[in-house]
Amino acid sequence: MLIENNGTCSTGSAAATASCPDSNGTMPSCAGLAVPYVPFQQNNPQKYSQSEALSNGTLFPGLNLPFHLAVEGSSLPNTPLAELQALEFVVLELGLYLDTHKDDTEAFHLFKQFTAMEKAARAAYESKYGPVTKQAAAAGDSYQWLSDPWPWNFAQNEVK
Amino acid sequence: MFHYEKKLQFPVKIATPNPKLAAFIISQYGGPDGELGASMRYLSQRYAMPFAEGKGLLTDIGTEELGHMEMVAAIVHQLTRNLTDEEVRNNPTFSPYFVDHTAGVYPTAASGFPWSAASIQSTGDVIADLTEDLAADGAMA
Repeated sequence: MLIENNGTCSTGSAAATASCPDSNGTMPSCAGLAVPYVPFQQNNPQKYSQSEALSNGTLFPGLNLPFHLAVEGSSLPNTPLAELQALEFVVLELGLYLDTHKDDTEAFHLFKQFTAMEKAARAAYESKYGPVTKQAAAAGDSYQWLSDPWPWNFAQNEVK
Repeated sequence: MFHYEKKLQFPVKIATPNPKLAAFIISQYGGPDGELGASMRYLSQRYAMPFAEGKGLLTDIGTEELGHMEMVAAIVHQLTRNLTDEEVRNNPTFSPYFVDHTAGVYPTAASGFPWSAASIQSTGDVIADLTEDLAADGAMA
């Protein structure tokens, strides 16, 4: 029994067997031993929300290959910092996507939109918790760049 | 040109230090397929990339890897904070690291081999470089 390329089954002819010596088993009559494939990411792919994106490590469900098939992403703390991180992650992911899909106008529109949201969220965060960039440090009344906590301190995530 | 942002890409908040785990995780910082190697690999390979899409990706991903490096360092830092003498002495996995680096963050493989550019490649050949990227990083991400 052979499965033809159109998916229907038939009894293999002697000629097919002769020209395809590997045609054993439930495979198309002329299938190679292994057929890898690489799907290309198409325009306007499905996207996660920003917090889902950050906790899954990708903006795109189509690119989400969970480690050890664990479906749920890590949980994000409900903090202004995590909200800012989520927005920045979407901007970063859209930037990478646009590197290879520069003509996807919908994605470019989202990129502009999230960049504006990130800018606003960053300004709100900085006004409360201090500068994240040198530029913001220069906008303050005094030099607050050195104020604790630093990003690697356990405390940064305690208080914010 | 790079500007620093005073925050991590993803929150790192480790309540319970665990030096044994730190001795494993350090490889993701300075091991052959760690984040330091990843960032150096992409940021070095981009000069030989002939296509704009590839220049963009290698630059943006290489930059992102620098942020990953910082997160992994923060993990190691938090896993090794406030250690007692006993916790170090009774830990055959972490104590060899402690001999030279105490609780400092040092780019090394878990085996103790320090980070080396010998674990990355930049051939000037785009296909060879991208193939190496796949081997090192599983994917270009």
